[in-house]
Amino acid sequence: MEAGTASEHGERVARLYREFGPAVYRRCLRLLRDRDAARDATQEVFVRLVRDIGKLADRETALPWIYRVATNHCLNLRRAARRHRDEPLDGGLDVAPAARDAFPERRLAREVLARFDVQTQAIAVGVLVDGMEHEELAGALGISRKTVHRKLARFLDSARTLLGGRE
Amino acid sequence: MSRCPSDLELERHLLASGATALAPHLAGCPRCAARLDEMRREGEEFQREVFPATVDAVVARTRPGRLVRVPRWTLAAAPLAAAAAAALFLVGRPPRDYVGAKGGELSLAVFVQAPDGARAAADGTSVPASAAVRFQVRPAHPCQLWVVSVDAAGQVSRLYPASGDAPAHVAQAGALPGGAVLDGRAGPERIFAVCSAAPLTFPDVERAAHDAAGGGEARVRAGARLTGLPPDAAQATLLLEKRL
Repeated sequence: MEAGTASEHGERVARLYREFGPAVYRRCLRLLRDRDAARDATQEVFVRLVRDIGKLADRETALPWIYRVATNHCLNLRRAARRHRDEPLDGGLDVAPAARDAFPERRLAREVLARFDVQTQAIAVGVLVDGMEHEELAGALGISRKTVHRKLARFLDSARTLLGGRE
Repeated sequence: MSRCPSDLELERHLLASGATALAPHLAGCPRCAARLDEMRREGEEFQREVFPATVDAVVARTRPGRLVRVPRWTLAAAPLAAAAAAALFLVGRPPRDYVGAKGGELSLAVFVQAPDGARAAADGTSVPASAAVRFQVRPAHPCQLWVVSVDAAGQVSRLYPASGDAPAHVAQAGALPGGAVLDGRAGPERIFAVCSAAPLTFPDVERAAHDAAGGGEARVRAGARLTGLPPDAAQATLLLEKRL
């Protein structure tokens, strides 16, 4: 947070919020499937982003970081909602078309997702829901491509095991 | 591009106002074009409904120095604080209830305004949620000082220096100018003092404080040591329990 008067700070934050807020909101809406929850989450995520406001200066590097913070926050909300059994956010995630053959059942995907840590969830969502390439996802999450591959493989193994147990 | 772009790539496209290499693919892929239209609509929804409803709260919650400076009380209490400081430092080491950094490189004292004058707060002291406080440090060497606090909501407040983009140079023990009024909300608030040879930026200290103690009351009370700072950065911390 840089020095300046309260009004300078407010103007700067408002400008950044107007510029990057839509990306945060879209990400939250995509993951939460609830407009009110997405609006609240957008506010929370942006407050977190402003704590490191310098990172928002470079659009190219800012976007993957925004994606990561928003994804982790919203997946945590989903986990919390599930834990408390109110599950208002569980409206379902749309599996990317390219992933449907490899992993056909959305409901099962959600159930399996809930068994993993947030990073694995973010990887599974990135690949299966967003249709991201491993390399792109690794860059967005700040981890190695190898980690993406390893955690996704573990996730899919568990999913297949669960699927097999139901057939 | 033959494959369909991810949402992140579409976000880049939107941020660049459509000036990316995705344009040819989007022109020939109805599914991606539909997704982009959906994202545009959601962006308009943000600008129309979400932004106006939340921008004030976002600005307020991120404003530096959420705790308010109290120069009037500072002036009144200065002699008391100075007397307390003298008592502390004359004995050569802090009393048992005085919390400083391991290794003695930096000590921090927090003084709380009370009807009978300022009193030094021990670690974990219960204080009125709207108490006026001020700070005193004792560095082992001249250094560049930041004082910040973290509450249970993970909010990091900048306490000293209250303005400017650089830390304050301190060379000897003493009470810090200014002070703060706690925010009136019950719960733990952990104060960190960080002093380094080379000046740190506030975002560096803010991030370290948030990572160490942000994220719930238990983390604030546990008060992990700040990490990710230069090895020479001395630090001290003290916990206040705000009560209504």
